[in-house]
Amino acid sequence: MTEKPDFDDWEEQINALLDGELDDAGAGRLKAAAGEDHQLSQAIIEAYQLQRALANIPTERAPDSLRRKLAAIPALEARRGARQQKPGGGWWQQSWQVPRWAAAMAAIPLVLVAVNQTTDWLGPKEPSAAEIAQAQQELAVALSYLGKVSRRTGLEIGDTVNHEMHKTVNENMMQAIHEELEFNKEREL
Amino acid sequence: MSRIFQQWVEEYQDQAWSLARYLLKDAAEAEDVCQESFVKLWREQDSIDHAKVKAWLMKVTRNGCLDRIRRRKPSEELGDWQMADPAGEPQHGAERFELGQWLQQAIARLGEPYQSLVLLRDVQQNSYEEVAETLELSLPQVKVYLHRARKQLRESLAEVRP
Repeated sequence: MTEKPDFDDWEEQINALLDGELDDAGAGRLKAAAGEDHQLSQAIIEAYQLQRALANIPTERAPDSLRRKLAAIPALEARRGARQQKPGGGWWQQSWQVPRWAAAMAAIPLVLVAVNQTTDWLGPKEPSAAEIAQAQQELAVALSYLGKVSRRTGLEIGDTVNHEMHKTVNENMMQAIHEELEFNKEREL
Repeated sequence: MSRIFQQWVEEYQDQAWSLARYLLKDAAEAEDVCQESFVKLWREQDSIDHAKVKAWLMKVTRNGCLDRIRRRKPSEELGDWQMADPAGEPQHGAERFELGQWLQQAIARLGEPYQSLVLLRDVQQNSYEEVAETLELSLPQVKVYLHRARKQLRESLAEVRP
């Protein structure tokens, strides 16, 4: 009695045939079996048709919008890399390396010290309105210089920091001057 | 480096896009995933074996798609996706187009990794080695799974045929 072929075994053979991995002997056996088994021959035909149909499905072309984005990657990534790899690290480190920054920054505490020391030297009579006005003027010059240096560096974020620095230093300075004025008024009374 | 990258873009953008479109069934998401994959390729090009760039790219694209699918809420399941109409390609007759469209929908209904297997191997005609690399499967696994996937497709095809 002839044993009916296991269809799963034939399926494997069909797949191997489709992939070109079935040797001549295997292909011969499959062909002979298909000649006697209508179901098997039908399965081989359908497998071939399916395979051909799958291979004929067109690969969809990427849309132009995506093509443009992909083409732009090297330029965008290079720009991103340049931002990250600037020598000396971030923008703030670079800014500090500019000597004019250092000079301008040094000018602020000097002005502050000058105002405070002036008040100490003058004893109960200091500071005069003229001296305070002068200190304010010097401060304005220093801050203006600082602003110009910042703009030269071309760093937007530097402007923000300068603005904050202006604000903070101005506030501290004005507070110090205001306290001195209040103190002097009290003494005069 | 830019030149070889541009070459990779030219060679693989359609395949990556096609895979993402099949898996995600959403053009905007597919575009995002493809862009992310190529950006990763640019950033990691020095550490990738150039002989395996295609498999690497397809793996990253597929993983990106699967991540997005996992994050989707059940209500976000997308409906049947229609293949691009190959109008303007005279070799595609109406019958062939219909069969192709039906097949695409049948593929879309396959689970993973069957869907990716059929796409990568039978539609895009990648080698078994590339498919195994992309899907991080062994060669015997690829063959067994592909066998099952083809069988499912053939059974579906038999159901709709007169």
